[in-house]
Amino acid sequence: MDVNRLMNSVPMWLACGLAVSLIIVQAIIFFRQAYAAGPEVGLTRQQMRVGVRSAAITSIGPSIVILSGMLSLLVSVGGPMAWMRLSLIGSVMFESMAAGIGTSAVGVTLGSDPMTGTAFAMAVWTMILGSIGWVIFSTLSANRMDQVQMKLVRGDAAMLTVISTAAIIGAFSALSSSHLIKLNKNSIACLAGAGIMLLLMNISEKKNIRWLKDWNLTFAILGGMLITLLF
Amino acid sequence: MNENQAPAASAAEEYYEKNYLPRVNRVGKITGALGVLLSFSPAIVLLAVFKILPPGGAVLTAFVGIASAVGVLWFVEPISYFPVLGVTGTYMAFLSGNISNMRLPCAAVAQDAAGVKPGTAQGAVVSALGMAVSVLINIAVLTVGVLLGSAVLAKLPPVVQETLNYLLPALFGALLAQFGFKNKRQALIMLAFAIVINLLIGRGAFAWLPGAANYLAMLSCVFVSILIARFSYKKRKAAN
Repeated sequence: MDVNRLMNSVPMWLACGLAVSLIIVQAIIFFRQAYAAGPEVGLTRQQMRVGVRSAAITSIGPSIVILSGMLSLLVSVGGPMAWMRLSLIGSVMFESMAAGIGTSAVGVTLGSDPMTGTAFAMAVWTMILGSIGWVIFSTLSANRMDQVQMKLVRGDAAMLTVISTAAIIGAFSALSSSHLIKLNKNSIACLAGAGIMLLLMNISEKKNIRWLKDWNLTFAILGGMLITLLF
Repeated sequence: MNENQAPAASAAEEYYEKNYLPRVNRVGKITGALGVLLSFSPAIVLLAVFKILPPGGAVLTAFVGIASAVGVLWFVEPISYFPVLGVTGTYMAFLSGNISNMRLPCAAVAQDAAGVKPGTAQGAVVSALGMAVSVLINIAVLTVGVLLGSAVLAKLPPVVQETLNYLLPALFGALLAQFGFKNKRQALIMLAFAIVINLLIGRGAFAWLPGAANYLAMLSCVFVSILIARFSYKKRKAAN
């Protein structure tokens, strides 16, 4: 069987579909649990709706970036695997690297040599074996890390908020700075996104414009991208 | 009034600890285990349907290759991201991937929009909602994309492709501004720290740490930020 047909065959779609449906089921269960717990922990329906809406709006842009990454992966490992890998565990960079390492172990350079059945299987196995470490460790350790964190704050609930807020700022500092130090167009995009955001925050916070708060991030991202194009 | 409010707050925390978390842990562990098993399904189909099993030696070589490239991340990433993602978030983010570019922003933005504080029971519940929504939207977009196929999407003008490259840096900058807005000093200190760390990594100052370029910036920024905030919080508290 031709490798391209194999990569995009019905059995491959079914196998990958099975894995993707697990992620959907997990997301739905966690959503329902959280939605049911909301009122019990003192959240209003309105607060939950606003949170969900903002997350939904924020998801769209990055989803499209992931989609464009999927297209490059799709050429080398076929539709089902590219689709599954970017829904489950993966990120574009990891998957392309894993696929490349896998095929090269049987002498096929990804992207230049023609794909063979064995090379494709190598890519599949390497992507799987290389990624389950994250799931195994995080699944085993999530509740333990929570216990450690609880011990560290010793019942001081306000401290937990201080820690989490600081962690968010630290994480986005790390992510921003990796683009800033490149001193290329990515740096401009990062600065422009931050600049527009500060401007919009000043307006929406001071005048308390509810709808603008919801769209701040979208405007900042789009504005940042468009400004970067001008350079 | 005060007597009514104090138990109400602790009732929320107690419900979260006693009712919500155990259920989350159960679902998280079951779906995590299933996720590890089901991720092998394409490999099993290749073997069972197409009779293709790659040579064991080559698989081992490739595994050593990928493990030496990302193996440290299996442990360091869940630890670095835990203070941001929380319990539910950790289960969800590592099974669905795309953490820094999607799960993290969505969880943080959902909390901010709902007006809840991170690190509280309310914050944890809202971030779980936000992350679940981002997982579903991510899969929906990818599914539409893969069905449309590369043929249609390849026809997008190159300028669209170029513009998309700038989305993530703009997103990260905007989010730093959004969350730094109320903590300007912290954000500026951390940004300076992050730039120095990244420059040092770029100069090879940490070449002796295997794969440091992949995780050191995130790990050190999260924990240094926590230490600084914890220190000034304690100072404020002592002063009061």
